[in-house]
Amino acid sequence: MKKVALKILSSSKIYAKTKIEDLDEKRLVPSMMLRRRLTRNSKVMLYLSDKCGFNGTKIVYGTCYSELQEAAKMANAVITNGLLSPTSFQNSVYNTAPSYYSLIHKDRDEIITVSSGMKTSLDTLKTAALQALVSKEKILCVAVECINIENIEEVNRCTDYLEAGVAIVVEISDDMTDAKEIEDHKIDGIIDSLQDLMSVVGIHDDGIDKILVEL
Amino acid sequence: MNAYINGYELLCDAGNTQDLMEAIYAKKSAITIDESYLEDVTAGLGKMEYDTIFDVLEDVAEVVLKESNLENFHNTLLILGSSVGGMQECEDIFYSQKSYKNIDPDRYSMNVLTDHLSAKFGFYDTRALSTACTSSANALLLAKRLIDVEAYDNILVVGADGLCYSTVLGFSALGVLSDRVCTPFDKDRNGMNVSEAVAMLLIQNVKTDNSIELKGVGASSDAYHMTNPDPEATGAISSMRAAIEDAGLTLDEIDYVNAHGTATPANDRVESLAIEKLFNHDVYVSSTKAITGHTLGAAGAVEAIVSCEVIKKSLIPPQTGLKNQENKNINIPTESVSMGVKNIVSNSFAFGGNNTSILVGVCS
Repeated sequence: MKKVALKILSSSKIYAKTKIEDLDEKRLVPSMMLRRRLTRNSKVMLYLSDKCGFNGTKIVYGTCYSELQEAAKMANAVITNGLLSPTSFQNSVYNTAPSYYSLIHKDRDEIITVSSGMKTSLDTLKTAALQALVSKEKILCVAVECINIENIEEVNRCTDYLEAGVAIVVEISDDMTDAKEIEDHKIDGIIDSLQDLMSVVGIHDDGIDKILVEL
Repeated sequence: MNAYINGYELLCDAGNTQDLMEAIYAKKSAITIDESYLEDVTAGLGKMEYDTIFDVLEDVAEVVLKESNLENFHNTLLILGSSVGGMQECEDIFYSQKSYKNIDPDRYSMNVLTDHLSAKFGFYDTRALSTACTSSANALLLAKRLIDVEAYDNILVVGADGLCYSTVLGFSALGVLSDRVCTPFDKDRNGMNVSEAVAMLLIQNVKTDNSIELKGVGASSDAYHMTNPDPEATGAISSMRAAIEDAGLTLDEIDYVNAHGTATPANDRVESLAIEKLFNHDVYVSSTKAITGHTLGAAGAVEAIVSCEVIKKSLIPPQTGLKNQENKNINIPTESVSMGVKNIVSNSFAFGGNNTSILVGVCS
C-alpha cells in the first residue's frame, strides 16, 4: 500500500432532487449546435470544471451509471421502432462527458474514465492521485451521476438526488506533513458512488487542503 | 520499477491464445457472417462459445493464476477495462419485459465483472475503467504506472466485452458495420466487425524467464470530433510518440505496429497517416482485427497478448484480407515475416478521440 499527499487547489459540488436548473450552458458552450448535443453528465461536468477554474491537462472522470438518459433513449427506441439514433449511441459511452470537455476546450491531454460501482469516486480519486504523481501536473478529478430518466423509480434504490456531481483540482505534494486522512463528510441521500469525493470537498470546505490518498 | 507481463490468456472468436495465433498466421478469420442478429442487416460478427461472460472470466483467470508464480490473487490489484460491463444481461431483461422493474442496478454497471472475479478469487482491490474501445489499453496504462511508482507488486489487467444488441445496432446506425469479413487498410474496405472477448495479463514487478516487458504507455485526446478521428492524425501520433518516449526508445527501435486497424474508412486512413508521418523507417504494420473482429473494450488487452506472442515467436503477423492497399507509404506485410522482434507499439483508439498506445518488448 502506497499513500501520497494531494494538495486540493479547488473544489465544487452540485446536486438536485430531479434536475439541476442552472448549469450556465450558454456561457460555457457558446456554439448552439454543440450545446444541443451535450448529455446531462457533460453539462454537469463542464459546469464543475468551470467552478474549479480548471484550464485543461489531464482529466480523471468517474461515473457508475454513465449516460443513463442516452442508454434509455436507445433501449426505448429499440422496443418502439427498432431504430437507433447515431447521436444517442455515440453519446452513450462512459467517456462522453470528458470527451466533450476535450472537444470544447481543445484539451488534447489524457482522459481516464473510472466506473467502479459504489466506490467510483474513491477509485477516481486514487487514479487522479496516480496521474498527479506521475505527471506532476494539475489534475481534474470529477465524478457525475445523472439518472433522471422516465420510470427511474422502477429501479432507483440508491439516491434521493437524481442529478449530482462533484469535482476537485489536485496536484501532488512532496511534503506529507499536515496531510489529513479523508474524514467522513457524506451528504445524506447522495448516491454512494459520489460520496467519497463529496467527503473530500466537505473537508476542503472546512479548510483542509492536503489529503492522503492510497494509490 | 520495471513492469513485466508474466502471464496471459484470452478467449475470443478464434479460441484461446494458441488458437488465435495459429489463426493469425494462417490468415484464417474467425468472423462469421450473420443475417439474423440484427433484423434486415447482414453483419460480420465475432462470437465466442460460452454460457455467460462470468463463466469465461472465471475460466481465463484460472488459467492465468495456474500458470503464474502466485498461489492466489490476494495480493493482486484487478484493473478491468470494459465498454459494456453488465449491459448484456440487463438489455436482455429490458427487451423481453419492456420494463426496468426486474433489472438489478448492481448488475448493470462495469463493476459487476470485477465484483464477480473478486468474489471468486479474493483480489486485494479492484478498479474498473470504461473509455469505450481504449478501455483495457488504459487499464494497461494504469497498471504500468502503478508498478513504476511501486504501489503494487502484482496487477491483473482484464479486458472483457460480451456482444450486446445495442452495441451492434449502434455501430449499424453509424453506418460502419461490414457485411463481410473486415479488410483493414484495404482500399475497398467497408467497415468493421463487432466481436467479443475476455483477455487477461498478469503484470508484475519481477522478471521471469518468460517475461515480456511493458516498456511504455502513452495517451492523448484528439479534441476534434466525438466519433471521427482527427484527419491530421495529431492525436494518434501523440499517443504513439508518448509511449515510445516513456519507454526511452527511439523511433527506429520499433519493429512492428499492431494497429488499431478496425477497417472503418476513417480509422484506417488516419492511423496509416499517423504511422507514415511518425516513423522514419519501414516499420511493419498489420491489424489482427481481420481475425478477431473489433473486441471493443477488450481490444487493448487482446492485442497486447498478440504482441507478446509476436515477440516470443519472432514472427510478424501478415495482414489478412489485404488485396489493394490504400496507403502504400506504410509497410504492411501480406505474409508472415520471420525476424527478431524487440519492440512493438500496439494502438487503441476510441469514441471521443481517446487514443492509447502501449509498447511491449524484450526485457531490457
